[in-house]
Amino acid sequence: MSAEFELTRNITIGQYLPTGSIVHRLDPRFKLAAFVILILAIAVCNTYVGNLFALLMCVCLFPLSKIPIHYGLSGIKPAIPFIVILAILQLLFYGGIADGGTVYFEYGFITITSESIRLVLVSAMRFVEVIFLSSVLTLSTSTTELTHGMERLLGPLEKLKFPVHAFALIITIAIRFVPTFAMEMEKMMKAQASRGADFGTGEWWRIVQRTKDMFPIIIPLFNVALARAEDLILAMEARCYIPEAARTRYAHYTAAGKDYAAIVLSLVISAVMLGIPW
Amino acid sequence: MEKGLTVRRIVIAGVLGAIAILLGVTRLGYIPVPTAAGNATILHIPAVIGGIMEGWGVGMIIGLIFGVSSFLNATVPLFKDPLVAILPRLFIGVTAYLTYVGLKNVNQYVAIGVAGFVGSMTNTLLVLGMAVVRGYMAVGVAATVAITSGLPEAIVSVIVTLAVVAAWKKLGTSGRQKSKISGDL
Repeated sequence: MSAEFELTRNITIGQYLPTGSIVHRLDPRFKLAAFVILILAIAVCNTYVGNLFALLMCVCLFPLSKIPIHYGLSGIKPAIPFIVILAILQLLFYGGIADGGTVYFEYGFITITSESIRLVLVSAMRFVEVIFLSSVLTLSTSTTELTHGMERLLGPLEKLKFPVHAFALIITIAIRFVPTFAMEMEKMMKAQASRGADFGTGEWWRIVQRTKDMFPIIIPLFNVALARAEDLILAMEARCYIPEAARTRYAHYTAAGKDYAAIVLSLVISAVMLGIPW
Repeated sequence: MEKGLTVRRIVIAGVLGAIAILLGVTRLGYIPVPTAAGNATILHIPAVIGGIMEGWGVGMIIGLIFGVSSFLNATVPLFKDPLVAILPRLFIGVTAYLTYVGLKNVNQYVAIGVAGFVGSMTNTLLVLGMAVVRGYMAVGVAATVAITSGLPEAIVSVIVTLAVVAAWKKLGTSGRQKSKISGDL
């Protein structure tokens, strides 16, 4: 029960773990590009062996970046009950919706086919891969670096009047505030629970009850968030921040061999993933 | 209203985007409903609120953050398709904003409530429409999902949007202050 309140422990997004490994020292522009390539490959790949290979590569990233693997695992833990329920639903009902595949079991509206088993296993692996990849990215890159990298990658869009700098700032604020709000939410859940509110304990099929249980958390969360936003607005305006002002850059990046190697490596991994036919 | 991205719009978009990410990552924003789509969601509500408060641009950016985070968190193949996960989400804040502006002069609170409903339905209809177009679902299945998870989502959206926006509009009249430079609402 107590574990239900420990949101901050399970949120790895927005945390940074400086270990000084080679992954940490990569140029953020190239690291981000490699991340995007790998995520796209994972999203497209739906073969068993391809995903196993990707999973192996993702696990290898942890020792390479000197990050203890339990950081990645803790991102998966809160989602496990959810994934299991979803997997069961997919297993039972997806076979009836999609065509194709060998039918292993059929009873009434329940159809289990080789395709639905593939769907369940592949989406579970995919989920773990994406969590691992994004954990390594955020744990090995500070939010500042991440934003700088993104701003440079989106740089060409500036010519199309796209507000690249403002957009990068929005993303930084969003990522920066996730752990803060997780902490706020934890506080509120404890406060409500100490008053006798009860959430997460209702049976999952009592949907109306579970939805009602959320209101005392969600609505104050928005209010706290907006109050914090007002503070930040005041602070930025007090410092005369002008979004469209021309800026010089503090950080300059120069790409080295290891950065190009990272891109090539991620392309090779993607090609292997998509090339494996099973 | 001022044009372009002001400090206020940037911060509000960032903060509401953070809520969308947080609710997605902790799974608190999902209500498991046994349908083909897997679950009902309240993750679109930040986009609706952003659209009402700061206009369509902010609504669209929060929609984008929501879309990308739902794309990255997705466990079903349906939302692993950027055309389903990201593209429809851009319009949530836009329709909510347009509804709010259209009805604002009739009654503030009616406008907020209806905008909450319209924003939520935009999400439901466009996502399911895209799912049908991309061949993940049959029309009949999509219609069932629209009723079983779309309607509850819309109701929750109306309640939360009303409560949050109404409270936010009162902010500054008592206790905490709003910035005087850009706070023209």
